[in-house]
Amino acid sequence: MVPDRIEREISIDAPVERVWSVITEAEHIGRWFGDAGAVIDLRPGGRFSCTWAQYGTVLGVVERVEPPRFFSYRWARPNGAEVQSGNSTLVELSLTPDGTGTRLRVVESGFRDLDGTDDTRAKYAEENTGGWKSELAELATYVARQPV
Amino acid sequence: MMPGRGAATSPRADEVFAALADGTRWQLLNALAAQGDGTATTLAAGMTVSRVAVVKHLAVLDRAGLVKRRRRGREVRYVVRPERLEATARWLASIAAEWDTRLAAIKRIAEAG
Repeated sequence: MVPDRIEREISIDAPVERVWSVITEAEHIGRWFGDAGAVIDLRPGGRFSCTWAQYGTVLGVVERVEPPRFFSYRWARPNGAEVQSGNSTLVELSLTPDGTGTRLRVVESGFRDLDGTDDTRAKYAEENTGGWKSELAELATYVARQPV
Repeated sequence: MMPGRGAATSPRADEVFAALADGTRWQLLNALAAQGDGTATTLAAGMTVSRVAVVKHLAVLDRAGLVKRRRRGREVRYVVRPERLEATARWLASIAAEWDTRLAAIKRIAEAG
């Protein structure tokens, strides 16, 4: 079945506490997520925003904060929109110690609940004009993983 | 750099997800894909649900653009339309690719510290 979620994982040669800092501190988020700064109020219900020089700011709301193992937030579409019903997906980041390193797993879910009018869809399509090359390579791998 | 909320939404992705969220519809789609085409009657023969239920599920799949109806005399045959399914898979793949990029950046930053 086509899943309503994507899952990705990576092995990092750094302790969970270090990875926790990178994924939850504004200074770092502004680098790995955006490229022009980020703001985060790290508590449930706290606001989250991340900015790209070229594309504007994405807004989100922190959901769960369980240092140093679990962090989740919702973020809204399109850029600039506040999180509300029908416009956001849930991102869950889990950290697991692995020897002296860390397994970091991300799950993004809730695509089924995105309303999206045709207008906003057209806007997403515009925002994405640069992304299709990597997608095509990814598609083969991704589709191969579907439990059809 | 990836766009802020980069991935394109495939046309009517929410309808596609809703249509596929049901096990019977997923079964119908797979049966059509395997057989090439089918009618509500032939499809119901291979399933535990009634022909009436199959007709309803096919209507949902039709509205989501996942199957196409072809009338042949008194018979309505259904075939799979793969385009939307593929567009949805591509959309999810683009989101997954963005996360791969972000996870790689997290790794670089964490290991440099």
